[in-house]
Amino acid sequence: MQHDPAASGKTLLDVQGLTTAYRGLVAISDISITVAAGEIVVVAGANGAGKSTLLKTIAGMEQSRSGTVTLLDRRIDTMPAHEVTALGLAYVPENKRLFPRLTVSDNLRLGSYLHRGKADREAPLDQVFALFPRLKERLQQRAGTLSGGEQQMLAISRALMTRPTLLMLDEPSQGIMPKLVDEIFDAVVAIRKTGVTVLLVEQRLAESLEIADRAYVLQTGRLVLSGNAAEVRDHPDIRRVYLGL
Amino acid sequence: MTAQAFFQVLASGLLMGLLYALIAVGLSLIFGLMDVVNFAHGEFLMVAMYATFGLWAIVGVDPVLLMPLVIAFMFVFGAAVYLGVVRFAMRAKTNSGMVQIFATFGLAILIQGVSQLLFSPDYRSIPASWLGGRTVSIGGVFLPLPQVYGGLISVLAFAGLYLLMSRTDFGKALEATREDQGAVALVGIDRNKVFALGWGLGAALVGLAGSVLAIFYYIHPQVGGPFALVAYVVVALGGFGSVFGALAAGLIVGVVESFAAIAMPPAMKSIPVYLLYLGVVFIRPSGLFGRL
Repeated sequence: MQHDPAASGKTLLDVQGLTTAYRGLVAISDISITVAAGEIVVVAGANGAGKSTLLKTIAGMEQSRSGTVTLLDRRIDTMPAHEVTALGLAYVPENKRLFPRLTVSDNLRLGSYLHRGKADREAPLDQVFALFPRLKERLQQRAGTLSGGEQQMLAISRALMTRPTLLMLDEPSQGIMPKLVDEIFDAVVAIRKTGVTVLLVEQRLAESLEIADRAYVLQTGRLVLSGNAAEVRDHPDIRRVYLGL
Repeated sequence: MTAQAFFQVLASGLLMGLLYALIAVGLSLIFGLMDVVNFAHGEFLMVAMYATFGLWAIVGVDPVLLMPLVIAFMFVFGAAVYLGVVRFAMRAKTNSGMVQIFATFGLAILIQGVSQLLFSPDYRSIPASWLGGRTVSIGGVFLPLPQVYGGLISVLAFAGLYLLMSRTDFGKALEATREDQGAVALVGIDRNKVFALGWGLGAALVGLAGSVLAIFYYIHPQVGGPFALVAYVVVALGGFGSVFGALAAGLIVGVVESFAAIAMPPAMKSIPVYLLYLGVVFIRPSGLFGRL
């Protein structure tokens, strides 16, 4: 799906009162968030706050107990995950879920599985190689043999190959050497420039607030704070608890 | 043993081995794809043989020409078995492995019963066909034409399977699904569709073997059993889920059986095959090419 500049500011993703439970234990409760077209939105919070569950539920990989998820005016909370992907929502989970025995090239090629026509399938490749040039050198290598940072790059790239309108990233900086963390954050900014909206889950709050437009803060499964990036950064609780100021 | 006799035994073993491999590969494919052992695999073979026989009886065209129809029918049959039975068995909340075993085992009994009802328990055969009863001689080695045809079909099928797996998007989707069936949704692939197509492909491959076997073998409701037993040995020997392990193991089983048949009484010809199997399982439980 191509980005339409005229649609900027329009609500792309609308989550209302979302509750998800694992075996009776509530992981997220009554969460409402929105993401407008063209934004970078960050969801922050400590370990176990329910950030990953929120993304999983939105992506259709986890069944919600109540609430609604709407993508471009279509209810997606009742859809199987593969249909959500086909509608333009790409999701990079925390553990990446690459196909480790397949080559980098095959992983990328599977990303564009839904698209027909050679031109349609190969166009996003140029974008991906511009973003992460080192993937081009690794095309014939098995995905499982890549370093942690390279695997993250491949996971983001595979998601971009689906040509999403909304990209959801779960802790892309986790388990990566510091030098590459900056590269990943730069890539997120570059991805937004191509017209893809980004919903980012991160523990590195300071860095992610630098690139985000707005932020939501979760605590033990509930939404405790939201606002634009500057507001959240300057909030006394956030400064004390998360930023150590 | 003369050199000529040696080559005679070797060649017939290899030809039978190619057919065993073709019978087994669908079983291995489905197991590798989704960890489900199809206990009705022998009955799939039997259905393909009856399909060939039935079409031959009705249409009166040579079985060689009926082969595309038979494999198309088997493809639909395999996909239907997944969509109608296995899909639901996989949803069992507890002990789904057992549920799958009993579901496919029950299906085997059902298919046998229905075949008996439709075709009676009588042994059937296709008496006159282009290939039936003919032999070719290559350097003094005499080979029955149906088996030569079967070996050729098997080699072509494995070559096609290799191209499918390595060159096509569907092949990559199959491989990705066997790697991580939960993750394919992330690229928009519906794993249920891949599973259904995988069952269709597995059934079409054993259907190919059935359409060949129908030319030179008796057809009856219990014909699948012994072949299924060999197929399980081939799959375990080659490595569960390994397509080319099935080819290698099929050839090994065919050759061992062929030499055993002249070295000992015919009733005992299977013993070395199962001994070999036991040996491999003790020394290398994942099979020759397995990655369990």
